[in-house]
Amino acid sequence: MTIIPTVLLGAALLLAQLFPLFAAAQAPSATAPLAGPEAAQQAVRTCTACHNENWRTPVLAIFQTKHAVSADKRTPFADQACMTCHGQSAEHLKSPASPPDMFFGRKSTIPVAERNAKCLTCHQGGKRMLWAGSPHDSRDVACTSCHQLHTAQDKVRDKLTQPEVCFACHKEKRIEISRPSRHPIKEGKVVCSDCHNPHGTAGPALLVRDGVNNTCYTCHMEKRGPFVRNHQPVTENCAICHNPHGTTTANLLRQRLPFLCQQCHEASTHQGSIASRTAISTGANTLARGCENCHTQIHGSNNPSNLAGERTFRR
Amino acid sequence: MNLHIRHAFPLTAVTAALLAAFGPALAAESEEVVRLTKPESTVSFGLGYADTEGRRFGQYTGVNDQGAYGLFNADIVRRDDATGIWLRFTGRNLGLENRELRFEHERQGNWRYFVDFSQTPRFEPLIVSSVVTGIGSPNLTLPGALTTGANVDLKTQREAIGLGFDKLLPGNLNLQVRFRNEEKDGARISGRGLQGAPPAGNPAFGLFEFAPEPINSTTRQLEATLGYAGERLQLAGGYYGTTYNNQYNALNSTGGIAAAGLIALNPIALPADTQSHQLHLTGGYSFTPATRGTFKIAYTKATQDDAFVTGVPLAPGIGNSAQARLDTTLVQLGLTARPLPKLSVNASLRYEDVDDKTPIAQYFNVGLGPLSTFNGNNEPHSFRTTSGRLEASYALPMAFRLTGGLDYEEKKHNFSPVRIVTHRDKTEETSYRIELRRSMSETVTGALAYIHSERGGSPFMLTTRNDGSPAPSGNRVAPINIADRDRDKVRLSVNWTPAEPLSLQFAVDEARDSYGQIHALGTGVRKGEARNYSVDAAYTFSDQWQGTAWVSRNDTRQDQWQQAGSQATVPAPLVWAAALRNVGDSFGLGVRGKPNGRLEIGADLSHSDITDEYGQQRLNAGTPATVVAPLPDVSTELTRLTLFAKYAVQKNAGVRLDYIYDRFSTDDFTWTTWQYVVGTRMLQSPTQKVHFLGVSYYYRFQ
Repeated sequence: MTIIPTVLLGAALLLAQLFPLFAAAQAPSATAPLAGPEAAQQAVRTCTACHNENWRTPVLAIFQTKHAVSADKRTPFADQACMTCHGQSAEHLKSPASPPDMFFGRKSTIPVAERNAKCLTCHQGGKRMLWAGSPHDSRDVACTSCHQLHTAQDKVRDKLTQPEVCFACHKEKRIEISRPSRHPIKEGKVVCSDCHNPHGTAGPALLVRDGVNNTCYTCHMEKRGPFVRNHQPVTENCAICHNPHGTTTANLLRQRLPFLCQQCHEASTHQGSIASRTAISTGANTLARGCENCHTQIHGSNNPSNLAGERTFRR
Repeated sequence: MNLHIRHAFPLTAVTAALLAAFGPALAAESEEVVRLTKPESTVSFGLGYADTEGRRFGQYTGVNDQGAYGLFNADIVRRDDATGIWLRFTGRNLGLENRELRFEHERQGNWRYFVDFSQTPRFEPLIVSSVVTGIGSPNLTLPGALTTGANVDLKTQREAIGLGFDKLLPGNLNLQVRFRNEEKDGARISGRGLQGAPPAGNPAFGLFEFAPEPINSTTRQLEATLGYAGERLQLAGGYYGTTYNNQYNALNSTGGIAAAGLIALNPIALPADTQSHQLHLTGGYSFTPATRGTFKIAYTKATQDDAFVTGVPLAPGIGNSAQARLDTTLVQLGLTARPLPKLSVNASLRYEDVDDKTPIAQYFNVGLGPLSTFNGNNEPHSFRTTSGRLEASYALPMAFRLTGGLDYEEKKHNFSPVRIVTHRDKTEETSYRIELRRSMSETVTGALAYIHSERGGSPFMLTTRNDGSPAPSGNRVAPINIADRDRDKVRLSVNWTPAEPLSLQFAVDEARDSYGQIHALGTGVRKGEARNYSVDAAYTFSDQWQGTAWVSRNDTRQDQWQQAGSQATVPAPLVWAAALRNVGDSFGLGVRGKPNGRLEIGADLSHSDITDEYGQQRLNAGTPATVVAPLPDVSTELTRLTLFAKYAVQKNAGVRLDYIYDRFSTDDFTWTTWQYVVGTRMLQSPTQKVHFLGVSYYYRFQ
């Protein structure tokens, strides 16, 4: 298995050698005019006269980011640099105590929708296409509430630091991800944006695949089916039984068994059994895997026979 | 040497140098300007040491045994300013089992491709003691008698490779292709069991055998999207396909306890191969700067035609596979508008039809009779959800905004003529929301919201036997996901900055659910409650020192009643209650500091104390006279302290020290007394403490 990434990385390095050649052929010649309009140069010269390396809020790191790549004609620095986003700010230039035409910080007095509109001027497509009317939009969440633009590393776009940005508002999730049964979020292997698109989706809870199950299946596809025997809540919504953010019960279950199962199943035979630490057989319903000691295939089974009650997800 | 130079005179060259960032002449600029404006690369390597076994601590990293571990990270970035070409290589945790590699090459604004690799282990936190052999394979050998075993490490591991390609095309078009292949291998806890007492003298709890599930599967996802991004209109449409291939479709066991009927659970069917193909189109159109419409339509066809397991009888006419098929249609429409300067409205409509088209056939008729609670048929599950939302928001003085909203959801389910669980074919839920929000203020922002929702639906259908008669002991419980429910929720959040260096956050939410019952006994879920409180504080002591602190309480409760046993003919059956509660108190402290130009230090402490309560009690003097013994509470404590110190030996290189103390303790009784009939046991150390120390050297370059 480990040979595969090695081969792919090798192939990628080879492509890396090829594409620069292609790029170099398209690059401006040494005699071509400087890339970027004169306006951008003037804006940088003007703004960095004050917002230099000594300014109380560091801003120069934006030059390390993609926004500052003037070779990409879509970027602010291929247009009017700082003024592309912050406006011409004539008053601010006359009197630095006056704010720029557009500013995005916590103290901004500009309506959130107007601030966000500035970002959406360029970022309206792709994953942000359904931003309008999404939960974050309708709750006045500014793009800059989550994103940092004047830093080399935007915290919310780094897997290791993204959760702490989300937890700034979603406090209960901060606790749940440390519960004994959890996803590897603290290890940076699963992050909020693996399951949620905060910019809007066509499903509940901003789930990336427009629904709970389809999102869970991206990693847990073995649960998908359809099988010969399907378990109704499983097919409808994984979150009926699981809390994906973390629980104290194994397998992210919302409740200990048998209590979870008894929220639907009634006492036609043994289903209403009292949770016991000493009972045997069907009464052994809260030790080990609880009801799943027998009903092991609770997500569904493709076994076509019924020799020993397999229809109840026993094999 | 002060490495954080504060320039008495701002670099007058900065302006010119930053201009150079638009051209190819940057190399001629000063070192300081380059440091400020060029992407930086970092490489670090070192060694870590864990002082003892930590099964919880290293569950997802592999740092779960005493010993030394390699620490190696790399983030190498190259950018050519003239062409906009980026070259990036990232390696994280390369010395650990949760390693990640990514290579990315891009000409910004033109093309991009990447390849990445991610390895994710999951070590079973329980210590498994077993003599079952063949673990991880589809062929297990179980002991024929109670046998004490040796420790076995159960583990699963995912290895994923991702490939991606982006290309901007003429006419505001863009192409995006993503492919991901994930291999998952290992074994996880599972078993098999039948009703019955263990053999005499066996301390097991029944005829349960340990039969770990082998995992060897491949998941593939391919998505190709063509997008258009115009000034007013944006579109993205494409294909999303997935496959799941399981190398093992059955688990076979030999040996085992010679109890009547037990070996009949062989083979055990494992997850079947499946496929899906989706076509989708998403769009948005800005009619005016303040009015925008959005939509998404998608059609998915998922199939499952994996061959049935061999070695079991097949009913005539069912073929060799289920020929299962699930068609899903999704339509979402949205409209946002600002008809008045202070008024904004937002409406959406969503329709999802999940249609299980799997042929219905009689898979067995053994044991089938008129009073059976099954008819031998497979049961495809289809459902159709229609939901809508209408929301209006009005701007008030002092930067307040008042929002009112109405949500409606109707869900229709299909049903089988023979049922063992109460059902209803339609639920309807209406929610009303009102919120007062203040988003802009230098000192206080926040929101106060109240939501009330009511869920009802069509009449409940009786649990029904094969001859159409109602099951006599059924119809006691309304399943939680379709039961009548009233919900009230209040949510308050406040951000307060009383002084420039101090910011405080308060968050409170409380929800109460009241469920309807369908039987005079009052059985089923009755009510639920959730309360979350948290206070966060951040304080900036100086430019060099910052501190944070937070405290939270999370409290959820659920009350449910059940009838014990099969009491169809008992006039006064035993009813018992469970008052379930999960309450957790947590706090965290953090500090970051730069005592001098060379040294950067940080510390974080977090602690959670969680208690699960079950509150079992008898509610009446009904039959049987079984004692409803209380279950003990389960307490879990989690503590983690992390310290780090970075010392710059020179401007672009230094040493980093990391220390982690991790403590996990629990009195969970789930496995403490449990023993499988073949002797396998699962144990966990009730208190696990790990000290981890890491030393690494880092080097930065541009």
